[in-house]
Amino acid sequence: MPASRFTQTGNYRTRYAQDQTIFATSAEQLSLIVLVLVLLALPLLLPKTLLRDVNLIMIYAVAVIGLNVTTGYTGLINIGQAAFMGVGAYATALAATRLNLPFFVAIPLGGVAAALIGTFVGLPSLRLKYLYLAVATLAFQIIFEWTVGHLPLLQQGGAISLPAVQVFGIRDTFLNHNRFWYYLILPVLVLMALLWRNVLRTKYGRALIAVRDNDRAAAAMGIHPGVAKLTAFLLGSFYAGVAGGLFAYFQKAVVIEDYGLHISVQLLAMAIVGGLGSLPGAFLGPLFIVALDRGMEVLSQWLGGQNLFPEGVDVATALRPLAFGLTIVLFLMFEPRGLANWWRLSRMYFKKWPYKF
Amino acid sequence: MDLLPQLLLAGIVIGSIYALAALGFVLIYKSSRVINFAHGQIIATGAFIAFALTQRGLNFWLAGLIAMLATFLLGMLIERVFLRRMVGEPIIAVIMVTIGLSSVIDGLIHLTPYGAGSFSFQTPAVLSGQGIEVFGTPLSRTQIAGVLAALGLLGAFTYFFNKSTLGITMRAVADDQMAAMSVGTSVERVFALAWAAAGLTAAAAGVILGLMSGLTLGGLAGIGLKVFPVVILGGLDSVIGAIVGGMLIGILENLSAGYLDAIVPGGGTREVFPFIVLIAVLLIRPYGLFGTKEIERV
Repeated sequence: MPASRFTQTGNYRTRYAQDQTIFATSAEQLSLIVLVLVLLALPLLLPKTLLRDVNLIMIYAVAVIGLNVTTGYTGLINIGQAAFMGVGAYATALAATRLNLPFFVAIPLGGVAAALIGTFVGLPSLRLKYLYLAVATLAFQIIFEWTVGHLPLLQQGGAISLPAVQVFGIRDTFLNHNRFWYYLILPVLVLMALLWRNVLRTKYGRALIAVRDNDRAAAAMGIHPGVAKLTAFLLGSFYAGVAGGLFAYFQKAVVIEDYGLHISVQLLAMAIVGGLGSLPGAFLGPLFIVALDRGMEVLSQWLGGQNLFPEGVDVATALRPLAFGLTIVLFLMFEPRGLANWWRLSRMYFKKWPYKF
Repeated sequence: MDLLPQLLLAGIVIGSIYALAALGFVLIYKSSRVINFAHGQIIATGAFIAFALTQRGLNFWLAGLIAMLATFLLGMLIERVFLRRMVGEPIIAVIMVTIGLSSVIDGLIHLTPYGAGSFSFQTPAVLSGQGIEVFGTPLSRTQIAGVLAALGLLGAFTYFFNKSTLGITMRAVADDQMAAMSVGTSVERVFALAWAAAGLTAAAAGVILGLMSGLTLGGLAGIGLKVFPVVILGGLDSVIGAIVGGMLIGILENLSAGYLDAIVPGGGTREVFPFIVLIAVLLIRPYGLFGTKEIERV
C-alpha cells in the first residue's frame, strides 16, 4: 500500500494484481465520483441550447473512440467513419420504422450492422497498408453516399423520421428532448468507453497496438496482423454504428448530409486534436471541435454586423472551414499528441506540486 | 450519331483534364511521398485567380499565365511553410495536414466573392467559332483546345523528366533520397519544385475545366477527389500512369454514364463508377498499371 491513500508518492506496487488496479489512490476514486455527480447534474445547470451541443459532443465521442480504435491504436487510416455512422443510423432507422423494434434493440442492431459492413470494408487491409487503405475507406465513403442517394428504401437520402421513445414512463417530447437524450447517451458513452478501456487491457487490445507500432515484429511474436486489423475495423465500426443510431434518434431523423465526407474529416480532426490513441482525447477532441464551430458562428455573426466584408460574402461559411483547417494544421505542427497531452501535463503538474519534476 | 464514339470522345476530353490534375498529384507523391488532399482546392484557386483577372479586363491568355505563376508560387509556399516541418512524421499526420490545408483554402476562397456562386469565363474569340466533327461527333473548339493544352503540358513534363538535368534530379530524389543527398542534390529544393510544378499544372487544369464547364468551387475542388481513382489505376508514382489513368477513368465514367444509367434507377453512375474501379484495382493490382511494386503484404 502507498504511504498515503490520497497522494501517490512513489511506486509501491509489488504484485501484478496491484499493477493492474485501475485506481492507484483514493483521491483518484474520489475524483471519479465527483465527475459522475457533476455529469449527472449537468442538464440541470446548463441552458437548453448548450445541452444540445453537449449531447452532440457525447455522440461524436462514441464515434471518435471507434475511430481511435482503427486509426489511433491500430494505425489504419480511416476516412470513412461517418459512412459507418451512417450505416448504423440507417440500420437503426429501418429497424425502428419497418420492424417496429424498440430503441434499445434498434441501436445495438445498428452497431452490429455497421460492424459487419466495417469488417467487409476492412478486408483490403489484409493486403494493403497506409495510404492505400486510406483511399479504400475514402472510396467506401463516396460509394456509401451515392448508394443511399439512390435507394428508394432509404428515401434517396431524404429524411426518414424516427418514432419518439419512452423510457420508464417518461416520453421524449419537444420540451425535454435534450435532457431526455442526455441521460440516455451518457450511460452508453460511459459503457462504450469502459468496454474499450477493458479490451485494451486484454491481449487482443495489446495486439492492435503491436500491429500499429510494427506489424512485422507483431507477426514474429505470433500475432496475426490481418486478424488484428479486422478486429480493429469490427470494433471501430461498431462504435460508429452505435453513435449513428444515437444520432439518428437524437436528431429525430436520418438525413444523408449528417454522414458525409466532411463529417468523416471532422471525426478525424477530433481524434487528432484530442490526441490519437488516447481515451481522454476521444472526449477532449469532440469538445474542442464543436466548441470551435460554435465560437466561429458567434464570431462570424458579430463580424457580419460590422460590414467589413464585400457584399455576397457569407462570413460564417468562410470562417468555419478556415478555423477548422487551421486548427488541424497547427495541432499537427505544434502539438501532434493533441489535447490529451495537455491533460496529462496538467495532471502531472498537480501531482508533483510544489516540485517541478 | 452513334453513342459509342461520342462517349469515347467525351471521355477523352474530360480524361485529359483528369490526367493533368493527376499529374500534379503524382509529382508531389513521387518526390516526397505526400498524398495531397488539397489538390482540388489548388485547382480551384488557380481557376478563380484567372477568372478574377479576366473580370478586371485582362486578356484571357495572360490571365491564365498569371494564374499558373501564382499557383506555382502557392505550391512552393505551402511546401515551405507546412510540409517541410512534416518530414519524418507519420503518414496520418501528413495526410491530415493536407486535409486541413484544403479546408483552409476553402475558407479563404469563401472570403472572396467567388466562394458560393457559379461563374463562367468569357470565351476568347479564337475558341468560340465553329468546332469540328470527329467520327460524326461534334467537338467544340474549347474542348479541342483543352485536350491539346492538356496533352501539350503532359508531353512537356514527360520530356522534362526524361531529358532535362533538373527532371532527372527530381527522379533521382524520388528513387532514393539518401543516395540523391549524398551526391549533392538539394532534396529540399526538389520538394519545393515538385509542389510548384504541381501548382502550375493544377491552375492549367482549373482554367481548362472552367472554360469547358464553368466555375464553381464545389465542381473544381471535386476534381481533387476524382484524382484518387486515376492515380490508383495509373500507379501513384508514374507520370505515364497519370496520363493513361486519367484517360481511362474519363472514358470509363462516360461509358458507365452512357450504358449503366439506363439500368440503375436514378442514374448518375458517373460519380460512383470511378470509385468502384478504384476498389477493384486495389484488390487486384494495388500498385496500378504503371506504379512501382512496393506494397508490403501483411
